[in-house]
Amino acid sequence: MNQMQEKKFSERLPIDFKKIAEVILNEPIPGHMKNWFYALGATPLVLFIFQVVTGILLTFYYVPSPDLAYQSVKYITEEVRLGFWIRGLHRWGSNLMVIAIFLHMVRVFFTRAYRKPRELNWILGILMLITTLGLCFTGYSLIYNQLSYWATTVGTNMIKEIPIFGSLFLRFLRGGETVGVNTLTRFFDLHIGLLPTTLFVLIILHIVLVRVHGVSRLEGYEDDEIYRFYPEHMYHVAVIALFLLTVMSALTVVLPPGVGEPADPSTTPLHIKPEWYFYWIYFLLKYLPIKLGIALILVALIVATFWPFIEDILKKKFPKVKWHYIVGSVAIVLLLIFTVYETIIY
Amino acid sequence: MLQNEIRTQKLVIGIFSILLTVVLIIIAGVEAKRTTETKPVIEVSGINKRCVSCHTERGIAVKAIDQWKESQHAIKNIGCIDCHKAEQGDFDAFYCPDSDILVGKHPTPKDCAECHKQQVEEFAQSKHAHQFWVIKNDDRSIFEPTIATRNGCEQCHNISIVWPDQSVGECDACHPKHTFSRAVARQPETCGECHIGPDHPHIEIYLESKHGNIFRAKEKQMDLSYSSKDLKKIPIEVPTCTTCHMDGNETQPSTHNVSARLAWESQAAWSYRTVWLQDKLGDWKVKRGRMESICKSCHSPDFVEVYFLTADLVNLQYNEIRRSFVYWVKKLQKNGLIKELEANGKKYSDIVLNGWDEEPEYLMYHAWHHEGRRFRHGAIMMGADYTQWHGIWELQNDLVELIRWAAERGDPEAKKWVNSTHPSKFMPYAIYDIPGNAWGINALSNKVQFLYVNYKDYWDRVYQNVKYAYEKGLLSEEQWQLWLKRYNNKEHYLGTKYNVDSVYAYYQQLNAIDTKAMNEQVVNMQLPGKPFYEPGFGFMVEDNKAKSKDMVRRKEELNNNRQGTTTGGSVK
Repeated sequence: MNQMQEKKFSERLPIDFKKIAEVILNEPIPGHMKNWFYALGATPLVLFIFQVVTGILLTFYYVPSPDLAYQSVKYITEEVRLGFWIRGLHRWGSNLMVIAIFLHMVRVFFTRAYRKPRELNWILGILMLITTLGLCFTGYSLIYNQLSYWATTVGTNMIKEIPIFGSLFLRFLRGGETVGVNTLTRFFDLHIGLLPTTLFVLIILHIVLVRVHGVSRLEGYEDDEIYRFYPEHMYHVAVIALFLLTVMSALTVVLPPGVGEPADPSTTPLHIKPEWYFYWIYFLLKYLPIKLGIALILVALIVATFWPFIEDILKKKFPKVKWHYIVGSVAIVLLLIFTVYETIIY
Repeated sequence: MLQNEIRTQKLVIGIFSILLTVVLIIIAGVEAKRTTETKPVIEVSGINKRCVSCHTERGIAVKAIDQWKESQHAIKNIGCIDCHKAEQGDFDAFYCPDSDILVGKHPTPKDCAECHKQQVEEFAQSKHAHQFWVIKNDDRSIFEPTIATRNGCEQCHNISIVWPDQSVGECDACHPKHTFSRAVARQPETCGECHIGPDHPHIEIYLESKHGNIFRAKEKQMDLSYSSKDLKKIPIEVPTCTTCHMDGNETQPSTHNVSARLAWESQAAWSYRTVWLQDKLGDWKVKRGRMESICKSCHSPDFVEVYFLTADLVNLQYNEIRRSFVYWVKKLQKNGLIKELEANGKKYSDIVLNGWDEEPEYLMYHAWHHEGRRFRHGAIMMGADYTQWHGIWELQNDLVELIRWAAERGDPEAKKWVNSTHPSKFMPYAIYDIPGNAWGINALSNKVQFLYVNYKDYWDRVYQNVKYAYEKGLLSEEQWQLWLKRYNNKEHYLGTKYNVDSVYAYYQQLNAIDTKAMNEQVVNMQLPGKPFYEPGFGFMVEDNKAKSKDMVRRKEELNNNRQGTTTGGSVK
């Protein structure tokens, strides 16, 4: 663009793109971020973009009706050119996204990056985790095979246990007594409409907040080195994206997602399980009295959401105790134990 | 201090990140693998676990366990003892020799009914459950040794076994243990285990029908394991036996009562409309209605109704042919030309049913039990060849045989029949007919029939017979109206009002060329080399006699020598 054209253009669209680009690209990044484990925040974002792209491609063929859902998934997997790959990327992408969020949380938690003044961004993060799990849950239900149908059934059954609004919310989600045609269309709506939009908005807010606050420094430690977002960190992210694409493709080839048996609402299979990221909830509900299980899950959720404030209170009372190490380690170990246990006793 | 803190942080984050990544990816992988498994995981627990492990260890009925693992029972955790359970004093209770478990040797319909109550009840109300063969088989028991019955009659008719616990039937006759598969039960050959052979070749009829033909062509693409409950659409392209006789569709519930849709007792010596459990199942019209509802899933109502009306008239026609057989056999018996078997004042070759020691009885038995059934069942189930060549042709043949047998023994009426040269002699009984058929209008085929051409009142006589059958309740009002519709417009349905002479002439020309070729190639030909037989053959001239004697002698010598060599020359 020469100057004349630039002028014409900016007259018509009076936005200073250069400045915006400068702000975005010149963000100073602290030197410790060169360690890969400290740079995992971008991973879920990269995966989200992958999910959007592969998700749009899947909707070209997917039909959200009980008669055709399973058939169309089968068609995508077995007939459509590279359909299995796109579906594999989408499925593995969703799994890796959950894992990536966990990893990002581990970094944030143990570096106490949520501490003042970034509490709000932690809460946004928790909301994004919940939204992502919602996307995983609704997405899995769309396959409409025996495993996913019954996983949806038990998954939504859990909702019923929420005090007061449980039954109402359950009916609202299912659109009837059991999982059926209404559930499928509702979940499809949620999966491709409401939830991705919510997540997108949350991601924007999250990044804006990160930028407004600046990337957090390690507690009490000033990095010697500061570097620019572009090009160093941007390339960092690009490498992560390519790495993920390779990993997901490899996983798709080695462990492709199957189609299983078509959903049969009249035949309850011997094993009914939700997806693995809900195993910890499933474990608690299965082995504890239902009310206690629900209470624990709700407490865990509240503690996780408001942890930055809760930790402040705890710190005032017991200033020497490193709460984040204790709580973080216990939470991770329990999560792993419950999840592994449920996987093994399948 | 700060450096330490940072190091700890890095260490903790590193360890947990790697741990989470590795463990969760493995878990996600395990879960992904499970999505590709189509076989359900079978869980064996409790007593069943003992049965399975012990049987597997000792190699006893291991295949049965494998079959069970394929079954819906296994998926739903219904194991060995759920069906093989027993209480002290049960007729089939025994202690498993290697454990203290009391086992029922024969799970009966009573056991099946614990879960499949409706199916067992429906079965018990069907003719599958009716042991009429026992009630009526005293005659057969004199003709066949009972030992043959064990592997013969009893094997098929065991489907109506009456157990000591008073339950009736043999569920695994169709749902083979231990898979109890629906797909196997729907396979035509399952019905064909019994519904086969000269007396009721139902599997053969099915396979020669369009239904069977398409089934064979496409069976690999058909999954017969579907559930037909809940008024669902028939999910397969063509029917197998069960589709029409048992499975449901949008309008008909599925049933294990195979008699619920049958309008004829067409296996009986006479065709009569079913009255089987009429108060529960409705009369024959209700039963026919059920069958038609199934047919109409695929066929147009008009086709179905015309098809059945035609087949019904075949059943009625059979009765008239049967009447001729009965007339002759009774007459011959009355005149002392044939005798019934008798012992202790009891007759053993029922005139209507059986009798095997004299030709006319044998012919009459076959006319009912073999070709008479084939004639009727072929008509009902689209087995043209069985209605024709294995049916009416053999019926007619046997009727001719019977009358000739009577004529040879001096019966004047029979002699007259034999001496008659009038073509109508082959129809010594009343006739049913319908103008045209269900498949279309054939403008050529109804123009030459002898009776059509030579009897101007042919259709009047038929009209009277059909009307009479309708008035006797053997045809429904709708059927009578349908018949009348065709009768009143018979030139159309018979195709006689359409001029297709040019087409006829064309094919006649082709036919003339064929006939000419046959005559030229074969008929008008005589080979120059003389045959060896000549009239008077058998009288030998002297010279030949001598030659012949010499040949016999040499042959004997040769034989003796051979024996000598094999036995070491000890024979003189």
